[in-house]
Amino acid sequence: MKTKVNRLMIGILMFLALPGMGQDWQVPADQLNIENPSSYNLENVKKGKDLYLQNCKSCHGDPGKNNHLPLVPPPPDITSEQMQANTDGGLFYKITKGRGGMPQFETTISADDRWRLINFIRNYNSEKEQLLIDAPPVNAKILASVNEAEKKVEILAEYEDKSGSYQQLENAPVFISAKKAFGNLLLGQALTDKNGRSVFSVPETVIGDEEGNVTIVVTLDENYKAEQVVLEEAKVGKPKEVPQLIRKEVLWSTNENVQIWLLLSYLGAAGAAWIAIGYVIFQLIKIKRFSKQ
Amino acid sequence: MERNTRRNFIRKLGATVGAAGVVGGTSILSSCNSVETSSGDKIKLLTSSGELVEVDKSQLTPAEMPNLSENQKRGREGLPGRSWVMVIDLSKCRNARECMKACQNHHQLRPEQHHINVLQMQDAEHTAPYYMPKPCQHCDNPPCTKVCPVNATFKRNDGIVLIDNERCIGCRFCIAACPYSARVFNWFEPRDAEKYKGVTYNIEANVPQKKGTISKCLFSADRLRDGKLPSCVSACPNGVYWFGDRNEDAVTNGTTKETVSFSKLIKDNAAYTLMEELGTKPRVYYLPPKDRAFPFEGDLIEHHS
Repeated sequence: MKTKVNRLMIGILMFLALPGMGQDWQVPADQLNIENPSSYNLENVKKGKDLYLQNCKSCHGDPGKNNHLPLVPPPPDITSEQMQANTDGGLFYKITKGRGGMPQFETTISADDRWRLINFIRNYNSEKEQLLIDAPPVNAKILASVNEAEKKVEILAEYEDKSGSYQQLENAPVFISAKKAFGNLLLGQALTDKNGRSVFSVPETVIGDEEGNVTIVVTLDENYKAEQVVLEEAKVGKPKEVPQLIRKEVLWSTNENVQIWLLLSYLGAAGAAWIAIGYVIFQLIKIKRFSKQ
Repeated sequence: MERNTRRNFIRKLGATVGAAGVVGGTSILSSCNSVETSSGDKIKLLTSSGELVEVDKSQLTPAEMPNLSENQKRGREGLPGRSWVMVIDLSKCRNARECMKACQNHHQLRPEQHHINVLQMQDAEHTAPYYMPKPCQHCDNPPCTKVCPVNATFKRNDGIVLIDNERCIGCRFCIAACPYSARVFNWFEPRDAEKYKGVTYNIEANVPQKKGTISKCLFSADRLRDGKLPSCVSACPNGVYWFGDRNEDAVTNGTTKETVSFSKLIKDNAAYTLMEELGTKPRVYYLPPKDRAFPFEGDLIEHHS
């Protein structure tokens, strides 16, 4: 009897405390128990993963790695208990409406895709069967070279098998990027064939430095642990055009920038004035001389 | 045969006197140059390659430090081959004001001074309000540089409009000329004036600030020289800013560090520039506040009639 009363008291206290706690995010009761209309299957989870990488990863970090951004309140890892304690409807509401640092995805992600995203989050729920299994990254190696004449990047990828020897990496996406001022611009991706080889044609539109040299970076996706290959200054791009923004001579306030016509007309005008004054003085002297005679 | 005229005599005399002067001058100069080759005192020095060497004390000359004029020269030239542009995605901004804080710390600005300011905007009576960060637009046809009577503010070939506060006379013509209100004036002693007293002026960050001179956004030109993104771009937690080199057609997001094609980004999102009808050719592009990531929570002053 006493324990029952105690439990009731605790329940009432918690209920009272909830609205006062800034950390708590209330979901309207009618939203809370909406069931996920999209079915929990591999296809939906995969799509959800793509959506997650695109829209959520920048703050929430990689699943299970607790490498979220240091924000206040912290964006929880999707594998965490705090995240998984939400009902499907609750998650949907929070993703849709957002709050504080959490954006509202009502306008940017369709309702179907938001449900798929929840399927992906549930992939890490202990009560559900994990459909998408994150294998630990496999050690791999990339070898790449540039064919400057044909503007192609030739790639050979290998992975380390269980015995520790390197085998050809089949059917794996390879990402080819160009190094830019502050990051690498993805040019495209190529799949390796059964010999672990692939050839990537550099698009015509790629811009290099003033001579057309592009620094190409070749990487594998996150399933492989491989050092990226950096091909320095391959002559495969268009030369970068550097337009001149500043004309040497403009109507500006310093001598080094002044226009020649302006300088000449100023000097001409000033000179003409002095000549005129000199002429008048000369005439006056002449008049004086005449008057003396 | 040469005639012995007065003119010829004077010519010869001039040549002789001139030559004598040069000889005499060099002899005086060379006497100045002769230094005592050894005074006996030796000094041990560590070279930059890690060798310990011994040098005669008389041979020592003060090392060359980057001085003010060198900074100014470097600051005027800009980074070769670059053409910096900024893209601001208005749909991502939620008025976090981290950009403003980072900027004020970097450029030693007082709390009321802004190189970048997040404004609350509403274009017409029934349109949706939005937040708009507004830095200097770094126009390609800048009205401000043209009115400066002392050439203190100028355009660089990498696109940045800079100020040389050592030249600035505080006339504030440029404030009047700028249609974007991008410039601020140091009416009072700048922030941390005591702390930075005597520090060599860095033209590319415009620090230390100086009372009675102009200050404005400079795309953190000193950070760009080090290969870093501008302060505001790196500080944004919401992925609002893209920054990069237009010549190589790539911009990088300060939050996600994702790099995309500049022309594709502005084409796909129908980017616009501010007051382009003035012909100023701004370098800051805005992506419209469509599909907002955060709801607007500001308090707009109703001034639409």
